[in-house]
Amino acid sequence: MAFSTIYNVFFKRNSVFVGTVFAASFVFQAAFDSSVTAWYEAHNKGKLWKDVKLKLAEGGDDEDEDDE
Amino acid sequence: MLGLRSSLKGSLRALNSQSRLVSSSAIAAKSTYRTPDFGDYLKEKNDADKSRSYAYFMVGSLGLLSSAGAKSTVETFITSMSASADVLAMAKVEVNLAAIPEGKNVVVKWQGKPVFIRHRTTGEVDEANGVDMSALKDPQTDADRTKNPEWLVMLGICTHLGCVPIGESGDFGGWFCPCHGSHYDISGRIRKGPAPLNLEIPEYEFDGEKLIVG
Repeated sequence: MAFSTIYNVFFKRNSVFVGTVFAASFVFQAAFDSSVTAWYEAHNKGKLWKDVKLKLAEGGDDEDEDDE
Repeated sequence: MLGLRSSLKGSLRALNSQSRLVSSSAIAAKSTYRTPDFGDYLKEKNDADKSRSYAYFMVGSLGLLSSAGAKSTVETFITSMSASADVLAMAKVEVNLAAIPEGKNVVVKWQGKPVFIRHRTTGEVDEANGVDMSALKDPQTDADRTKNPEWLVMLGICTHLGCVPIGESGDFGGWFCPCHGSHYDISGRIRKGPAPLNLEIPEYEFDGEKLIVG
């Protein structure tokens, strides 16, 4: 049965169990960080500095003159 | 007292004959207690491996979340110890090399210290390479002191007592420290005078036409 295989591979030895948990936490953190960043940037599209920077580069000089 | 004890003994013995205060396995085996039938409440196909794996998986997931949280907490503290972006920005200086003609010195301020940049001519490079190592107080080849022989970048602080040497002067065509008369050659090496070491080379790198010190 599949579940007994899972048990024998991952859970039977505590060293393997804890090792898997720690290794997975590294993967999880990277995945979590990138997914949250991707969501945040999609949610705030157009308001972020990297978007504004492009806009300023296109018509940057005019805006400066308007301010002054 | 004696009478009380004998009467307690008698009453205990009487109690023992009718019911038990403490159970023991030998008696329990003979017990008439009937275990209820839990069959109605059990799953039809109960898979012990599955439920055990599920329990371990949940324990492991909690451990994963906690360890990821602990890791990120520790990382936060460690990164807070490193220099912030504004400090790092102040720690570097950019120089446009295209503006420095050959054979000219430029002094820039880097972290409060003067940095000498010299655009050396090929004649000066040959002169720096032609020096006999045994004649030097602090032997260093010119190649050790420059990344690109055309450009000499070094800290403009005399290694004697920290004065700022004057460029294009001295007996060796390099720098001369007016405080106590140390002479440095065209590679910034100490040749004469009280200074013990060559002028120090900071960390720097070339980025196209730009020089980044720091």
